Amino acid sequence: MEETFYDKIFKPKTYTLENGKTVKQRASRTPIVLLLVLVATYASFRTTGADLSLLLSRGHQFFVIIIGMIPPNFKFISSIWGPLFDTIQMSLLGSLAGALVAIPLALLSSSNIIKNVFVNGFFKFFLSILRTLPTLVLALIFTFLFGLGTMAGMLSIFVFTASYVGKLMYEHIENVDMGAFEAHESMGLTKVEAFRYAIIPEVLPTYLSVSLYAFEGNVRYAAILGYVGAGGIGLVLNERLGWRDYPSVGMVLLVLMIVVFIIERVSEYFRRQLS
Amino acid sequence: MIEFINVNKTYPNGVTALSNVNLEIEQGEFVAIIGLSGAGKSTLIRCINRMHEINEGTLNVDGVNVSQLKGKQVRAFRRKIGMIFQSFNLVTRTTVLNNVLVSSVPELSFWRKTLGLFPKDKKVAALEALDKVGILDKAYNRVDQLSGGQQQRVALARTLAQNPSIILADEPVASLDPVTAKVVMDDFKRINQEMDMSILINIHHVELALEYADRVIGVRKGEIVYDGKSEDVTQDVLNNIYGSITEVPHMDDPEEAEV
Repeated sequence: MEETFYDKIFKPKTYTLENGKTVKQRASRTPIVLLLVLVATYASFRTTGADLSLLLSRGHQFFVIIIGMIPPNFKFISSIWGPLFDTIQMSLLGSLAGALVAIPLALLSSSNIIKNVFVNGFFKFFLSILRTLPTLVLALIFTFLFGLGTMAGMLSIFVFTASYVGKLMYEHIENVDMGAFEAHESMGLTKVEAFRYAIIPEVLPTYLSVSLYAFEGNVRYAAILGYVGAGGIGLVLNERLGWRDYPSVGMVLLVLMIVVFIIERVSEYFRRQLS
Repeated sequence: MIEFINVNKTYPNGVTALSNVNLEIEQGEFVAIIGLSGAGKSTLIRCINRMHEINEGTLNVDGVNVSQLKGKQVRAFRRKIGMIFQSFNLVTRTTVLNNVLVSSVPELSFWRKTLGLFPKDKKVAALEALDKVGILDKAYNRVDQLSGGQQQRVALARTLAQNPSIILADEPVASLDPVTAKVVMDDFKRINQEMDMSILINIHHVELALEYADRVIGVRKGEIVYDGKSEDVTQDVLNNIYGSITEVPHMDDPEEAEV
């Protein structure tokens, strides 16, 4: 065992067997990690200027708004349905298209299927670039390109889903046991055929589960996208908050909560069936 | 007939796996290849169906120079050679029948193979292959519900459905218990005798090799050090194949003892 600097400060434990053989166990690295986390926490408090006393003096205002929302303005519901379905539609369509496009992207990024380092490196890089763009920023850019409305929201959800599902799937594909793939190649199948029959059956449940999970999250994201003009219920929410019409805001949030809750439950049920 | 003429194989990391191998294996022979781990047994059989490339020499299978095949020709050539693996290499999340059906994929139309729709005659052929190894009743079970011995027989059925003239088996019984190992070896013997398929088997169990194979090939450090009838294998021959005891890794080696 090679002695590192750390081992000189924190001596490894030595066990000696009866016949004189020794086995060394390295000291735990946890103290160093804890120390780093503490330093990082302190540093972030200093740089962000987080002020806990402000939380105490102004925190109660949060409850003033909450109380303002009760009771919600039930008459407002007729103006919610339209934007609500826009939101669900754009997240459904965006998630579906994104999950489909993720399949070839994941295949091309998997180093165990595509042996060419440049090809899979390029697609991995492409996926990570897409992921670094926040959905909100994407939506903003798309509103410039395609105008205000659900089209921009749908596209930004599509890009996010493709990159998210693509990333998780290539990581999964890279960890799949390649035995069956090898066997299929030895039987004279092409790489694509071997992928279809050896890898897809192994990763399909995970793929469906990850896609459903992405859809779940996308409904929540889609609700905010209206803030940058990308359509849906966020538009209404932003408008009512601006007018301090808290009872209507309360109604929007209530409906949103119920819808998200139902979608999450349904998706969770199907994901459990898959595993 | 499989013919190795002065075959050499060196891996990119510099390890010599085969050195100056000359062999002739007639159609219908049952050959056991024995030797230490890392001696080159796996490489030897994987060169035959081009899962590995050779560096020098000529390797002919049924008169075809294997090294000169390209792309599509390699795949067509592999259809005639079955392969069995130590870890079975089945798709565990699907049914036994689906695994056997995979062997017919290259013969299907684009839409059929994309959607996984197998015609009736392929299904019947797959079921017949399962019947030959005695696990017809498991056809619609998922593979992960089967025991190791049953899984290896599914792999054997998958190979049989391909109707090959040669079967290459890389440590087929190494992960099986002694009783199941015999059952699988019996299957190999029966297939060899009834269907006249050549069988090349890499195996660590010397006693099984001597009991089932007609011919034994001993490999040591990439060289063929014994090639003859299994009846003629003596303790001296085995000592020569497996080397003196000093070449076996020792437990008190300081590098091995590290945790």
